Amino acid sequence: MKLARSALLLAGLAGALLLAPPARAQAQALDRAGLVQELCGDAGAMGRAGATLAATAAAGSDEDRAWAAPLARAAIDRKLGCDETGAVLEEGGLDAVTRTPRAATGTPRAPLLSLRNRPVFELGDAAFALRGAPDPARRAAALKTLERRPALIPERLLDRAAEAETDAGLKEQIDTLAQTAALNAADPAARIRAIGRVAENPSRRALTRISALARDPAYEANPEFRAAVDAATARIERGIAIGDALATLYNGLSFASILFMAAIGLAIIFGLMGVINLAQGELIMIGAYVTWLVQQGLRAVAPGLLDWYLILAIPVAFLVTAAIGIALEASLLRHLYKRPLMSLLATWAVSLFLMNLVRVVFGTQNLQFETPFYVTGGVPVIGDFIFTWNRMFAIAFAALTLALTWALVRRTPFGLNIRAVTQNRDMAACIGIPTRRVDMMAFGLGSGLAGLAGLALSPIYSVNPQMGQNFIIDAFMVVVLGGVGTIAGTVVAALGIGQINVLIEPLWGAVAAKVIVLLMIIAFLQWRPEGLFAVKGRRK
Amino acid sequence: MVKFSRRSLLQASGLAAVGLASPLSAPAFLRGAQAQSGPVKLGCLFSSSGTMANLEGRLNYVVKMAAEEINAKGGVNGRTIDVLVSDPASDWPLYAQSAKQMLQQEKVSALFGCWTSVSRKTVLPVVEQENALLYYPLHFEGDENSKNVVYVNSPPASSVLPAVDYLMGEEGVSAKRFFMLGSDYVWPRTINKQLKGYWKSKGIPESAWKEEYVPFGFSNFQTLVNQIRAFADEGGGQPVVILTVVGNSIPDFMREFANQGILATDIPVLGLDMVEADLEGLDTAKLVGHLNCWAYLQNAKGPANEAFLNNWAGYVKANNVPFSGTVSIDPMVSAYDSVHLWAMAAAKAGSFDVPEVSKAFAGLTFDCPSGYKISMTGENNYVARGVFIGSVNDAQGFDILWQSKDTPKPVPFSPYG
Repeated sequence: MKLARSALLLAGLAGALLLAPPARAQAQALDRAGLVQELCGDAGAMGRAGATLAATAAAGSDEDRAWAAPLARAAIDRKLGCDETGAVLEEGGLDAVTRTPRAATGTPRAPLLSLRNRPVFELGDAAFALRGAPDPARRAAALKTLERRPALIPERLLDRAAEAETDAGLKEQIDTLAQTAALNAADPAARIRAIGRVAENPSRRALTRISALARDPAYEANPEFRAAVDAATARIERGIAIGDALATLYNGLSFASILFMAAIGLAIIFGLMGVINLAQGELIMIGAYVTWLVQQGLRAVAPGLLDWYLILAIPVAFLVTAAIGIALEASLLRHLYKRPLMSLLATWAVSLFLMNLVRVVFGTQNLQFETPFYVTGGVPVIGDFIFTWNRMFAIAFAALTLALTWALVRRTPFGLNIRAVTQNRDMAACIGIPTRRVDMMAFGLGSGLAGLAGLALSPIYSVNPQMGQNFIIDAFMVVVLGGVGTIAGTVVAALGIGQINVLIEPLWGAVAAKVIVLLMIIAFLQWRPEGLFAVKGRRK
Repeated sequence: MVKFSRRSLLQASGLAAVGLASPLSAPAFLRGAQAQSGPVKLGCLFSSSGTMANLEGRLNYVVKMAAEEINAKGGVNGRTIDVLVSDPASDWPLYAQSAKQMLQQEKVSALFGCWTSVSRKTVLPVVEQENALLYYPLHFEGDENSKNVVYVNSPPASSVLPAVDYLMGEEGVSAKRFFMLGSDYVWPRTINKQLKGYWKSKGIPESAWKEEYVPFGFSNFQTLVNQIRAFADEGGGQPVVILTVVGNSIPDFMREFANQGILATDIPVLGLDMVEADLEGLDTAKLVGHLNCWAYLQNAKGPANEAFLNNWAGYVKANNVPFSGTVSIDPMVSAYDSVHLWAMAAAKAGSFDVPEVSKAFAGLTFDCPSGYKISMTGENNYVARGVFIGSVNDAQGFDILWQSKDTPKPVPFSPYG
């Protein structure tokens, strides 16, 4: 009896499949009310609803797709209000099933996607967007989402999307993804092509997928398949090796740029006047706060320019911190030049004062920064190397700062004065260089550079009143190692410390890396107490 | 430079001698501490400066708020509560020093304080020696049971393990591989030791996890996030990150994690010390779905939570508190519970003497803002709390993904470590 019924069912299904036009190849029409009910159910029911949505995106009729697309988005955004009679799409206040306007009864509950269901819904949403979004950029973004999980893409979705795609470039990308997804297809030629496609983007994940194929029966049976797998493995491994090397270099460079930014201002102040400025870290912090204030100001005055606050804040951050530096020099430090220990204590007091002043005025919480597009996310380059924009911003910023500082010190009369005073203060005074003014201006320059450091670091680190303390030790390490008062020394020391840190960290951990770097610096200074690049000539 | 002239020195020492010799002649505000009718003092040990300031600082105000609430109802045993605040400056030995000062000089009846376990461990010998009471409002590594500490928040068995179980289960993500990243001190190391023991007991091989530690205040997570990606891409099942870094390392880690393009659906992060306040400066749209686990989340349902949130918002506004009035985190609620639990015990005992108050712990219950009725037994100084698993949303908060049916009985000593 049971057997007969299922046989009948099968026959019916086969008949339906044969007879139905391709657009209606689904075994049954979408149960709209049932789907909405599942969307409001427990985690298991929501998972089933997600799968139904993804399947609808691939194989549903046009009306069903148009109907279901907002549901996936609403579930992700928690904009679906479940009440006793079903659910309401909160955007527009429409009933989820009938799409007629109605208000929710009682207090609607917005179901939360579990971690397991979230990728299913995101995939469904992307699938709808790939086939239905009018904006090509939105379709390209959807394709990117699908690429993350090639194994979950519903069958035939990509074929249908490619058929309907009008943008030639995007169509090609879809085809590529479709070929990649054929890794476990039945056709050996399609599989070999898929292996080649996967190997084009080498990464550890790709390697895991390809090396799993070595256990496939086809690997033993089919020599062509075997050759393709071996070639792909070799190619991916090479890609990973290059990527890892680039990543280490990039990480080292990025850390070096941070160290350099923190240290360059100090190098000038310490090099010129021999003043150990312990408030340098707080000037960095103030630079970050000024950047934040510029952002808030733009938000109020010119919201259109908000994305560019990091650029617009450059002169402001520099001038404000430079002014603080000049004021500090004029009011406090110039009385203490003959007493280095006192100037150290005085700058420490200033550092505590600035920190607590900011704490009282702004509070201790982390400041909230807009993240403009040019410091968000990253691009995968090769292997597992991702080029992150916020780090790139810091590196570019450091390079620019270096170039400008170098030009200022080497190519301008002011720089000439600074160098003269650094080399021999008394002789410089004798030949008529106003050393007092040079001191003040140089202190301002060093402080202003600290302010720029704060600006460059704000997209990377949390900005709060204590942030400056993190940098002062590292900055001194760089300055002392580089040789007091030389820009080249600061650059080389920052690059060296950054790179060594990044090399040690994966081997022995971050804690050991800090200790080892410190030991290395101590050992080096035993050998060369002047640092890497000692200023030649007589000092004081 | 302050210079003591002989005259002023003599004056000062003379005053001090008079003060020491005749306590009865001391001015009224000094006598208050000893008098039976004056306010009873409570001490706070939360940093207002240093790396923990952003988190610990707000707890001072919550303790004050709870004390005000109790005072408004007539105080305890006929006396009002006076809250004293210190600043141990995120410097661990300073916590012990401040505790000693509060106990010996100010004669406080109970201490409320510490965030990191390392600070609790430094205060522990002080409170044991002085036979005082410390209410500790953080969830922690367990493996400690002093009669002088009230562990108001949960040990791992009733916070971390349910969350890890959830991740490993069908409803979660069937996690198979674990990257443990922590700050280098006792809490992360003990938690990770217990987790490893737990996984071993489940027959999970050692190759399925990796452990890394960073110094306090560490913020350059580029290389570590690279390592996490490499670990995840090795295959072998769903990877998760068990994050036990503390303080400002949390937002810095999450920012780098998102910037390298990793989403919660790729590698979820279970941030054991992550609270709403850590997300304050972040763009959370790319962090949606990462998890934390606490005994309270701001989105908890119920009138007790509504009342608490209203009170806090009102208190922040009225007293110009330098913290957000719209953010409420678990340790705040636990500190709030602490004051009430202490007041109830003192009222039950009819005394402020530590031995009497301790005896009154058994059978105390309190309607916590989390919606659970938290309770204490006479067995130990732990408090039974509910468990929440939160999921980061795009509004810098946590949605409740899962919560326990009741309050599991706290287990002080873990069988797994």
